[in-house]
Amino acid sequence: MHTPYLIWIILIPLLGALLNAGFYIYHIKFKKLPEKLFAIIGTVTPFIAFLFTLNLFFKLNDGSENFEQFLFQWLDVDNLSIEMKLLGDKLAIFMAMFVTFVGWLIHIYAVGYMKGDDGFGKFFAYFNLFLASMLILVLADNPVILFIGWEGVGVCSYLLISFHYTDGDNVMAGNKAFIVNRVGDLGFILGVITLFFALDKTGISFGDMQANISIASNDLLILSGFLLFVGAMGKSAQVPLYVWLPDAMAGPTPISALIHAATMVTAGIYMVARFHFLYSSVEEIGLFIAYIGAISAVFAAIIATRQQDIKKILAYSTMSQLGYMFIGVGLGFYSSGLFHVFTHAFFKAMLFMGAGGVILALHHEQNIFKMAQHRKRLPIISATFLIGVIAISGIPPFSGFFSKDAILAAAFQQGEYLIWGVGMFTAFLTAFYMFRLYFVVFVAPNGHEKEYSYTDKTITFPLMILAVGAIFAGFLNFPAIFGGSAFVDTWLAELNSVKLHMSHATEYALMFASIAVAVAGIYVAYKKYANYDVYKPESEEGLIANKFYVDEVYDKLFVQSIKRLSRYFDETVDTKYIDGTLMLACKGFISFGKKLAIIQNANVRYYAFYMLAGISATSMYIYITLIGQ
Amino acid sequence: MTSLTGYAAVSMILFSLGAIGVVSRRNVFIIYMSIELMLNGINLFLVTFARYHFNMDGQILSIMVIAIAAAEAAIFLSVIILLFKTKKSLDTNVFTELKQETE
Amino acid sequence: MIDFVFLALSFFAVGGGVAMLINNNPIYCALGLLISVLSVAGLFALLSATFMFMVQIIVYAGAIMTIILFILMFLNIKEEDLPHEPKKNILITMGVILMIPINLLILEGVARLPDSDMSIVEEGFGGIKELGMKLYTEWLLPFELISILLLVALIGAVVLAKKREKRGTSYD
Repeated sequence: MHTPYLIWIILIPLLGALLNAGFYIYHIKFKKLPEKLFAIIGTVTPFIAFLFTLNLFFKLNDGSENFEQFLFQWLDVDNLSIEMKLLGDKLAIFMAMFVTFVGWLIHIYAVGYMKGDDGFGKFFAYFNLFLASMLILVLADNPVILFIGWEGVGVCSYLLISFHYTDGDNVMAGNKAFIVNRVGDLGFILGVITLFFALDKTGISFGDMQANISIASNDLLILSGFLLFVGAMGKSAQVPLYVWLPDAMAGPTPISALIHAATMVTAGIYMVARFHFLYSSVEEIGLFIAYIGAISAVFAAIIATRQQDIKKILAYSTMSQLGYMFIGVGLGFYSSGLFHVFTHAFFKAMLFMGAGGVILALHHEQNIFKMAQHRKRLPIISATFLIGVIAISGIPPFSGFFSKDAILAAAFQQGEYLIWGVGMFTAFLTAFYMFRLYFVVFVAPNGHEKEYSYTDKTITFPLMILAVGAIFAGFLNFPAIFGGSAFVDTWLAELNSVKLHMSHATEYALMFASIAVAVAGIYVAYKKYANYDVYKPESEEGLIANKFYVDEVYDKLFVQSIKRLSRYFDETVDTKYIDGTLMLACKGFISFGKKLAIIQNANVRYYAFYMLAGISATSMYIYITLIGQ
Repeated sequence: MTSLTGYAAVSMILFSLGAIGVVSRRNVFIIYMSIELMLNGINLFLVTFARYHFNMDGQILSIMVIAIAAAEAAIFLSVIILLFKTKKSLDTNVFTELKQETE
Repeated sequence: MIDFVFLALSFFAVGGGVAMLINNNPIYCALGLLISVLSVAGLFALLSATFMFMVQIIVYAGAIMTIILFILMFLNIKEEDLPHEPKKNILITMGVILMIPINLLILEGVARLPDSDMSIVEEGFGGIKELGMKLYTEWLLPFELISILLLVALIGAVVLAKKREKRGTSYD
């Protein structure tokens, strides 16, 4: 049913972005404005958007129909009719809710983190713009509008990663993120086009496509499903398009928290969920997605065990958890995958913010082997960090357990024992490296004596709220066997193509197995790192520590060859061929003209000769026509 | 043979000889004489057609042509004398003051 | 009989022209031209243009050829002064090739005219009386203009022949 409110969810952060941008330009050109102005605009707008979303959520919960809002007709050509239309169904509102909520908290965090930075206003303008783009993505009614948001978050990610642009490394990281994303975007566009034509051009909005899905041939559906997933691979950092995510950690920590943990990277999973009608009809692609997810999960976990930068460890853990989410949606358990998105947003954002707090406190030190024993000195951060680490390791009753376990149970039920096994192994590794991080940073003794900065309230306040979420969010989807409401499952039930139904015994057994695996991981980490002497940093040699040399391989394969190709074009083709051909034409004219100029040699007899020749030719012609008659 | 075509043929041959001479010789005198030969050919043509049409106009034109040839002779030869005095040569290829140098 | 005369006169006319074309020495060329001019005068007579016959001999052969020969001898041309003409034959051949189409065209056009009598007329055509009648009535204006032209030529010749003061410009 129609509502006029959907657009405001997007417009308010957008307005905030524009206001901040305008004020920032004023700030650098004319008179300096206080940071408070930017901060207030920047933090109030997401909160208002959240309130709107909350309102719509309650209405939907009471049984209202899906919300729609038609803005204007964008394009109407032949069979292609693209409308600017927003759709607020259960999935969209679900995503919008935690995006705005977590976004709001991270905006507050950013006020403290970016304090004193020159580009304070610019930061909040970009940040609000990002939020607006993400909301466009989530509330879109057809893939084209979704793509607008998709591109928007890509751009904002680029802008924010290279925020401190004076350092060339940051800019390169931003470039890398954008370019790798672009590869994915190409897949996405091709997928949408293929799908549109496969459906015989009946319509491009999600509703139309869902209704007409049976028209399409199976092969085309597989192709478009695969291409769309390529887009998701790029955006959500799965193998092989993941290489931008660790480098993206060059941006300020609030960026990493919001974009690369909670929201942008989940856009890929959202997109797969949106196209559930497509993926339900072709199970092969779903299986493929699940396998990619599993591979990415274990791959990232292995690399994370040997990383030394605190943010890079968290980045690889994000990639690993995204792998879990793809396992979930790939096997048809959309609600489980999305529930993991939801819980992951909470504890990952919290982990990142905690890491940011530590980094700030130690004056931007990011190597975990150079940090001191912080438990005593940064109590709040330490406590919330511990909560986050426990949650991500999958220990009940924290939220990570419920969501991760649901996915693994789904894999087991579908008979995908390989995926289940990989998932178990990854859970073990996850617990291991997360607790390694915790022990080395917060527990290990005789650390370096470094100076501390004071931690702002704006930093700790969001951490505490998110900690509450991390602990209790699991209960939103409390499994039925324990007598819970399984709220999220029922909320998103219409998406699921399969339902979770196994015997209680199996379910208990699986839960026990996951807990056992996680505890094993913690134990190993404890043995190794709890009393670690941080003056002996780990070696940086070896395959794992060098991230399996994937970056180097990509560089050799793609980057160098493209660079050589472009150099070839610049030097050879442009100068020799194109310029050469044009100059040839010019020089040809010049030399031809020079040759012609010989005729004008001021010798009058030659002129007479030419005249005679002309007359002769003319008379020849006339003679021939005369003869002909 | 003494038909229109015969006289026309003779006059055209004379004219052609004169034209060839203008084009192919380098000696300035001979160029001039070729011009005179051309004029002669044309005179013959004019008188032929005067007889053909039994009309005196052709002969009057012919007289005019002769008068002009006389005037031209005077001027032409004075110019040749001047040219010979300055360039000391009778070669028309030497008189190239009108030429513009190419790069 | 008339044909034979015509052929002989034509032969001499063309032969004189060819001689003029080929010779290197300008004196020989002038003599060739002279023969050609006289033959053309004979052809005028064959065409009943008696006055033209006389005018041609007096003016052309008598005045113009004389002045040409006079200037030739006046300039005292030696063998070295004559220009080298290495490509003369090639150019003449090319000239011949060039002139053929023009000739063809004119002759073709003339041949298509209807035939008419070209025999010699005894009286009433080509004489002084008829010429004068036409010249001073119908062609009066051109006649006057021609006289002005001759006057101009006369003055021009005198001016060109005048001695020039040195103006300091060199011609070489």
